Amino acid sequence: MSRDRRSCSAACAAVVVTLLLIVSSSSAQTPGPLNAITDVPGIKVGNFTLGDPNSGTAITGTTVVVYPPGATGGVSQRGGAPGTRETDLLRPENMVEKVNAVTLSGGSAYGLAAADGVMLCLEGQGAGFPVGPGQVVPIVPSAILFDPGRCAPFAVRPNFSFGMAACQAAQTGPVQQGNVGAGAGARSGGVKGGLGTASTLLTTGAGNGIIIGAIVAVNSSGRTFDNNGNLFAEFLELGNEFPLAAPAGTDVVPPSTLLQNTTIAVIATNATLTKAQATKVAQMADDGLARAIKPSHGVGDGDTIFVMATGTDGRDATNLVNTIGSNAADTLSRAVVHAILAAQSINSSACVVKSYCDTFPGKCAK
Amino acid sequence: MKASVVCAVVSVVLASLASPGLAQLPGPNNAITDVPGIKVGHFTGNPLTGTTVVIAEKNGQGVAGGVSQRGGAPGTRETDLLKPENMVQIVNAFTLSGGSAYGLAAASGVMQCLEGQGMGFPVGGGNVVPIVPSAILFDPGRCGAPFTFRPNFNFGLAACSAAQTGPVPQGNVGAGAGAVSGSVKGGLGTASVVLSNGIIVGAIVAVNSVGSTFDDNGNLFAASLELGGEFGNLLPIKGGPPSNTSKPSAAPGGLLKNTTIAVVATNVELTKTQATKIAQMADDGLARAIKPTHTPFDGDTVFAVGTARISMASLLPTFGDPSVVEYVIGGAAADTLSRAVVHAILSAESTACEKSYCDTFPNACSNGKKGGQK
Repeated sequence: MSRDRRSCSAACAAVVVTLLLIVSSSSAQTPGPLNAITDVPGIKVGNFTLGDPNSGTAITGTTVVVYPPGATGGVSQRGGAPGTRETDLLRPENMVEKVNAVTLSGGSAYGLAAADGVMLCLEGQGAGFPVGPGQVVPIVPSAILFDPGRCAPFAVRPNFSFGMAACQAAQTGPVQQGNVGAGAGARSGGVKGGLGTASTLLTTGAGNGIIIGAIVAVNSSGRTFDNNGNLFAEFLELGNEFPLAAPAGTDVVPPSTLLQNTTIAVIATNATLTKAQATKVAQMADDGLARAIKPSHGVGDGDTIFVMATGTDGRDATNLVNTIGSNAADTLSRAVVHAILAAQSINSSACVVKSYCDTFPGKCAK
Repeated sequence: MKASVVCAVVSVVLASLASPGLAQLPGPNNAITDVPGIKVGHFTGNPLTGTTVVIAEKNGQGVAGGVSQRGGAPGTRETDLLKPENMVQIVNAFTLSGGSAYGLAAASGVMQCLEGQGMGFPVGGGNVVPIVPSAILFDPGRCGAPFTFRPNFNFGLAACSAAQTGPVPQGNVGAGAGAVSGSVKGGLGTASVVLSNGIIVGAIVAVNSVGSTFDDNGNLFAASLELGGEFGNLLPIKGGPPSNTSKPSAAPGGLLKNTTIAVVATNVELTKTQATKIAQMADDGLARAIKPTHTPFDGDTVFAVGTARISMASLLPTFGDPSVVEYVIGGAAADTLSRAVVHAILSAESTACEKSYCDTFPNACSNGKKGGQK
């Protein structure tokens, strides 16, 4: 009996010590220089938008996250109405380990065609899984969101050409947010949705030097804010990145469409991960959606999170998976906030939808 | 008590199923199109590659489907959607295609074809999103073909537009056109079986496997599953192939260039969960017909669908429990898929680069019949 208790307390002590170690090893964080997924070295983002992202006429589009040499991939697919490509390939037991790009697109399942354009674009660059002399098959896992028919005829949706154009436009550097790319036609809980990105640089502890970036197209049935208009994920702000004022008031927000949504995202990191570890990071990152959007992973949301681990930080990251996953979740939550704050109202003859900031003008006063 | 009653019912049903008096025969076309509500369309390219589309409907609406994805190098679309917990309960069609992951583009053509027919998941305003789970196999660049020649949007559109009921061409067609299996030419095969109580099960498969469909002597692993003389009275081979027919020493496709993909269908009303279980059981049909299967280099994927011509409720007086119906259909689906693999191998024809099974083992096929459909 006493022996049991002793072994138990010894075990408990070990657990406490372990947790303390984890806490003490958790790093201080700061956004990267661009506060974008492109802070991860080598990661490029390309958007193609039908309509003008800056004048409230954007209709739909495609966003591509490219890492031509191939990054170790993983996925978490927990939304109830997904439209996906190549997620079977991402299972840890399956052979191919590296992904060359991830395509996020509007257009419902029709928009999966955009990945065909991304594949041809990458093949032209020689990027892909090698299958013979000079022959590659680009690995391009993809997910779509539902936006067709909102501000344009139902038949207007991303196709092959959208993917090709987005891939050809891919570059490092700042990433445009709001009514752009896969976020162009997005809605979120009664207000305009959009594309958002964020990054986190770990600056102390064992993870010092690890960079985690997120990019997300927010098109959710759930809301990103409470009944007072306060954003759920405000508390995760790093370095005054959210230009938000005090409580917002009680403006009326129109109801959201329930069954035609989906929030899709990519997490990138410079860490070296196995496919199994990248899968775990995707699962943890998915909690970032849960903290920023409520409800999330609903029946009509095809919420899907991809991970790309470039491995340019060559350290064995086995003991950093928890830290990376936790920071990926927070980075994704912050990217959701950026998407909502960057989204612009649309007020055209075809459709009217207010942005968050136009719905709660006091909140975005800063 | 209740459990034992169920067990007793199951035992009786299973015993009756095993009784030899319950003859099973192929359907009239010995093809997946023997399942009402199933249409098949091929488009075959030159050089050899292609796309096969299986459309499943009841009154123009989609029906429930499932998937088993156990090969190690898959290329797929919409398999997440098929998970039982996910919202969309129907599929409209499946696309099987050559072209490696590039060939996933064919599904976009199938979607456009089906949208034009008003087939799809309704999303309001008369608009639909066709649900087209898809898988590909690796065949590009074979036999001197340009690596860039592979199924695209137009292949899917053409295969879907050509879809029909009735006999299904086999061999070097559609998704099986460029296929290779072990050391011989692969291809497309189909088969069906009619069970008691009006249950029909069909399968269609594009065989492009690392593994072989026959033993070292050349005898097909699944030969014993023959129904009604469908394999053309294959002759047993003793002592290996004749000395004047050398069996190729290595898989011409190479280890990394394979994948066997299939659809099984039944006329019974299924839920997504039931279709998933049937896909899993059907997958064993690949294991019995091809050795090894589900390797790291095969993206083996089996879809299942029920066209709901027979309600599950109407079968319960006979079978007692939906699980028993799943058991019966799943077992039949596995055997039907194995037989479809044999049909694919027997129907395949030699090319400039790969010998067919029948040209490799002419004494097995010496009666001149290449098996398969009537």
